[in-house]
Parts: sequence; C-alpha cells; structure tokens
Amino acid sequence: MDNPSKTSELDLLNTRKLALFGILAALCLAIQLTPRPPNVEFTSFLAFTVGLIFGVLDGALFGCFIMFINGFLSPYGFAGLNMPFQMFGMAIAGILGGVYRRLMSEQVHSARFCTETAIVGAIIALIFDLITNVGVGFQFFLAGTDFALAMLTAIAYGVFFSIIHIFSNTAVFGILTLPSIKTLNDLVGGEKIG
Amino acid sequence: MVEKRALIFLTLAILVWAISISSLAGYFYLQNTMYTEQIGENQQSLNKTASNYDELTSKYNILLGEYSILYGSYSFPGGNFTLLMEPLGRLIDNQKGNYSSLIMDQKDLNETYYTLEEDYQLVYQKGNVTGEDFGRLLNEYYDLFNLLAIRELSLVLSETVTLNVNACIDYGNGTTNWRNETKMPAGSSLFQLTQKIAEINYTYYPSMKPGHVLVDSINDKKAYTAGYSEGWSWIWYYWDGDEQNWISGPVGCDAWMLKNDGTYKWRFEHWSWP
Repeated sequence: MDNPSKTSELDLLNTRKLALFGILAALCLAIQLTPRPPNVEFTSFLAFTVGLIFGVLDGALFGCFIMFINGFLSPYGFAGLNMPFQMFGMAIAGILGGVYRRLMSEQVHSARFCTETAIVGAIIALIFDLITNVGVGFQFFLAGTDFALAMLTAIAYGVFFSIIHIFSNTAVFGILTLPSIKTLNDLVGGEKIG
Repeated sequence: MVEKRALIFLTLAILVWAISISSLAGYFYLQNTMYTEQIGENQQSLNKTASNYDELTSKYNILLGEYSILYGSYSFPGGNFTLLMEPLGRLIDNQKGNYSSLIMDQKDLNETYYTLEEDYQLVYQKGNVTGEDFGRLLNEYYDLFNLLAIRELSLVLSETVTLNVNACIDYGNGTTNWRNETKMPAGSSLFQLTQKIAEINYTYYPSMKPGHVLVDSINDKKAYTAGYSEGWSWIWYYWDGDEQNWISGPVGCDAWMLKNDGTYKWRFEHWSWP
C-alpha cells in the first residue's frame, strides 16, 4: 500500500499544476487577444516556461492548446489552414522548454541563464515563423501558385515580421524567463534555478 | 578556453543572425527581380504604344491628305459635285478599310458609319448632286473621321492606361446603386461605362450631336412620356470636384469621354415642358 501522505502530496502537486496551467493559459490568451504590435507576443515565452517547469509533453500540449484557441479568437481573424502550422510551431516552443530544462546544468549563473534563454527565444521565433510562413505558402500553393514560388514568396514577405519577432522574443525571453521561473517554481515547488 | 556549452549557444545565435540576414537579402533580391521585370514589361509596353502611335498618325495623315484634296475641289468655285461623288465614295471606303475593327466593335461608330453610307447612297442615286448635299456629306465624313481617330488613339493608350471611375445609378425612388472603382480602358465613353455596369436599351439619333445615343432604359427601368409636355427620363451627371456638385451632362453619353477618378451618375427624373 502507498504511503497516504505521499499520495496527498502528489495530488496537491497535480492540483497546483493544473491550476497554474489554467491560469497561464488564460493569461496567455488574454495577452494574445490584447491589441499589440504585430509579432510581439508572449505565448511562445509562456509555452517555453511551461515546458521548462513541467517538461516536454506539458509544454508541447500547452503550446498546441493556446494556438488552437487563438486560432478562433485572434483579432487578426480565424487562422484557418494556418492553424495546424501555428499549433505545431508553438508546440516546438514548449518542447524546447522541456529540452532546455534537461540540458540545464545544476548551478546556472543568472546572467548566463538570461543570455541562453534570450538565444533560445530567438531560435523559437525563427522556427515558429518558418513553420507558419510555410503554412501561408501552402495556402498560396492551394490557390494555384507554383509550389516553390509560393513558399519563397511567403517566406520572403514574412521576413520583416520575423525580424521583429526575433528581436522581441530575444528581449522577452532574456528579461522575463528568470523571474517567471523563480515565481512559478515557488508556486509549484520544483528545483531552484538561478 | 571557451566552454562547449557557450560555444553551442554562440553558434545558435550566429545561426539565427545568419538566417535572418539571408532572408532579408533574399527578400530584397526578390523585390529587385520583380521590379526589374516590371520595368522591362512597362518599357516594352511603352515601345509598343509608341510604335502603334506612329502607325496610326501616318494613317491619319494620309486620310486627312485625301480629305483635304477633296475639300479643295469642293471649295473651288464652279465645281461639278456629281463628279466628286466617286472620290468621296473611295474616301468613305478607305475609312472603313482603315478603321474596320473600330467600326465593327463600337456600336455607336458602327451606326454613324452606316448612316453616312446610306446618306451617300441616297445623294449618289439622286443623280444631280448639289453643293449643299455634298458639303453635308463631307461634314458627316469629317466628324466620323475625327471620332474614329480619337477612339483609335484612346485604344492605343488603353493598352498602358486604365481608368478608375465611380458610377451611380439613381432610380428616382430612393434606390441608388454605386459601382465604385470600376476599371475602364482609357478613351472609353460614358455610354461604354453604362453598358458595362448595367443592362441598357437606347435609341440612336443620327442627326443629334455631339453624341447620338439616348438611353431609354437602365436595368429595365424605362423612360416614358405623358403626352408631349412631361415625362420621366434617364439623365446623366458628372461630379465637379472643384464646385463640389453634380453637373448635368452637356452632350450625349456616347460623346463624353471618361476621366480617371471621375464620378458619374444616371438619374431617373421627371421633366416637364414648358
């Protein structure tokens, strides 16, 4: 038989995790639906954070879920055919959070952690934009444009938005990850970072 | 010695930078290629327009020369107008030969041409041609000749220039339909625009000018008269941007050339006389 005190600790952890998951999802959607400059977003940061705290699977699910809801409610209109691409792109943000957690050394210096997460933020923005631009290119292709031209056009015309996204993500990840992780770890009770 | 982890992150950062810069370069390359292509196409189009323009001015000058000779003979006192009928017939045939596609394609020109041909036949068959008859035929010919030349020049222009016009149909019963940003080839008349945006019926009046067309109905809304003193008709207006009001059309709709960004209105309205 299991130790009852251990089981209730686990239940408490799961409840806290679920509540936190819900709060983060709500926060994420609220930010997504708030008017803001194009491609300045906090969803990938939160998906990455969830991945970092709860692991690869939870991070990926969180990313997918948020983009699914956002696909319907976005102020830019229904995502349509691009929705699966957005979900996949954001799942990668969550996955990278989990992967980063696994590769993280025992004792990480704050400045170094900020620099690393800033770089990861830039990579996430790049990958997400590449995937969603391929999605847009796919729509052009379905509308009758030649496949190579459709992809090239979508990627080329998305480049300015990608650059904004990369810069904003670098800043958001570099500045916000450390304090967020500390706060969330205190809430859920995980390993200490920084 | 740089640590392996730091090196990996440095590589990743450089990778992001390299991809971003390459994409930017790709974007500018694509834009440059596209603009170069567009400039090439525009240049080609301008060259074609210039060449077509040369061709039609040569044609115009030759026909004008022929007309001028005939007009000289007509003006010379004591001339035999019956003898001049044959050269005039050849001139009319030449006109048809040179502007055949325009005469075939544009209904109003077609009707004007056949009216001239009919008038010519009538005078010719009469035998003894008076100076008055001959002068009238020459005038008819010259009017049509100028109209054909303008329309052909407009057609050449329309290969490179497209007009954006706004049109409105006011049915006089509170219903108004707007057709904004309608694209028309340069040189189009209001009559052509009306044909494009609505189903119309019209009557051609050879003696009426400038413009020979009177619109009888637009989208099944028919003009009618109650006796001779009043009725309902389709009247056209253009918007005067300087005066900020609608100005009633001073000529027939087939004689009014559209201008870019022009706004035109057809209104079904009541009239009475006196």
